[in-house]
Amino acid sequence: MDFKDYYKVLGLAQTAAPDEVKKAYRKLARKFHPDVSKEADAATRMQDINEAYAVLSDAEKRAAYDELSRQPRDRGQFEAPRDWDGRFSDHSGDPAGASDFFANLFGQAGHAKRSPAFKMRGQDHHAGIEIELADAYHGAQRALSVQVQQIGADGHVSATQRTLDVHIPKGVKEGQQLRLATLGGAGIGGAPSGDLYLEIHFKPNAQYRTDGRDVYQQIPVAPWEAAVGASIEVPTPAGRVQVSVPAGSQTGRKLRLKGRGIPAHPPGDLYLVLEVVLPPATTERHKELYATMAREMAFDPREKMGA
Amino acid sequence: MTQMDSVTAVLIDGPLLTLEELAGACGMRVQWVVQKVQDELLGATAGEPMSWRFGSAELTRCRRLAGIEQMFEVNQEAAAFMVDLIEEVAQLRRQLRLAQAGGPHGAAA
Repeated sequence: MDFKDYYKVLGLAQTAAPDEVKKAYRKLARKFHPDVSKEADAATRMQDINEAYAVLSDAEKRAAYDELSRQPRDRGQFEAPRDWDGRFSDHSGDPAGASDFFANLFGQAGHAKRSPAFKMRGQDHHAGIEIELADAYHGAQRALSVQVQQIGADGHVSATQRTLDVHIPKGVKEGQQLRLATLGGAGIGGAPSGDLYLEIHFKPNAQYRTDGRDVYQQIPVAPWEAAVGASIEVPTPAGRVQVSVPAGSQTGRKLRLKGRGIPAHPPGDLYLVLEVVLPPATTERHKELYATMAREMAFDPREKMGA
Repeated sequence: MTQMDSVTAVLIDGPLLTLEELAGACGMRVQWVVQKVQDELLGATAGEPMSWRFGSAELTRCRRLAGIEQMFEVNQEAAAFMVDLIEEVAQLRRQLRLAQAGGPHGAAA
């Protein structure tokens, strides 16, 4: 496994005092907290930062880590010393979903080395998953690659890469959680594994927005469709629908299709938001038509401005 | 070695998680969650703690509370205050996106 340079993660020298470790951690936590950070890799960075802090803020773990870091490594590759006994008993600050490096050296697996009778359910892990809005309407299968840890009788952690064919049920909405049983951290001493929770997010889409299970879809319409009304066919996530555009519609008018939002009991509604689009005047004939309208309609869009 | 497994995800739709499951999912002790509910910092179904059930929203909030308490070593009220603000920002961002799409806070029908 790769050796993780926790000092580098926190931007610290090895001589950093405990106060400096805490200060650096909090500064980075503010910067990379996934709820507020605009950095694309915020969640991964935060995971590394939490892991580094869990080691460097604990005097015992930090001393052991410093000792390990002085050992020679073969091209960055690192093996835990044979006599490493996983001596740490306090796991209250262990970050969920920690790396193999952390799990092997400082994680709960260390208990298994000390006490064969020790049993503990594995940690629950968390991740996000991006799906298309259509997946919420119809359900979906998604291939998901996860690293599953196993803890051997000797307390060593090994990891297997598993590709999961995950069935996502229809009816999911933004922010909801999916639970995948026993796909979290490995249990110790024969105890069950933890679960994996996936938080649902919809891929950004210029056409759609959601509000719970209600869906808002932008629908471009021609000026004459908006002005005199029309029956138009619209492709929606719920399938093609024939919709009557009322005469006198303007941009922003919403047409509600009850029960055509994300399916559930009860389902959400689908709102078609009209957007009047002007045809370009690219030929003499087009310009003539616009000129005729200008002449015959006596329309002043700035009338209310007192122009 | 790569294995291919078919897995069905369970949607946490509505109150489904027990107190113990919620605490485990947040990496916290059960008593820590009980305190949050009793101090009205976290919602739960009615009844005794062991019959409480929690949904996706409570799981997300509870994880945020735990993370902030631990990250910044603040008390639970300060953590709840920060989580309230995070939720408010998230709600405003959603409203902004909806307004840009002509949603309920956007152009009138």
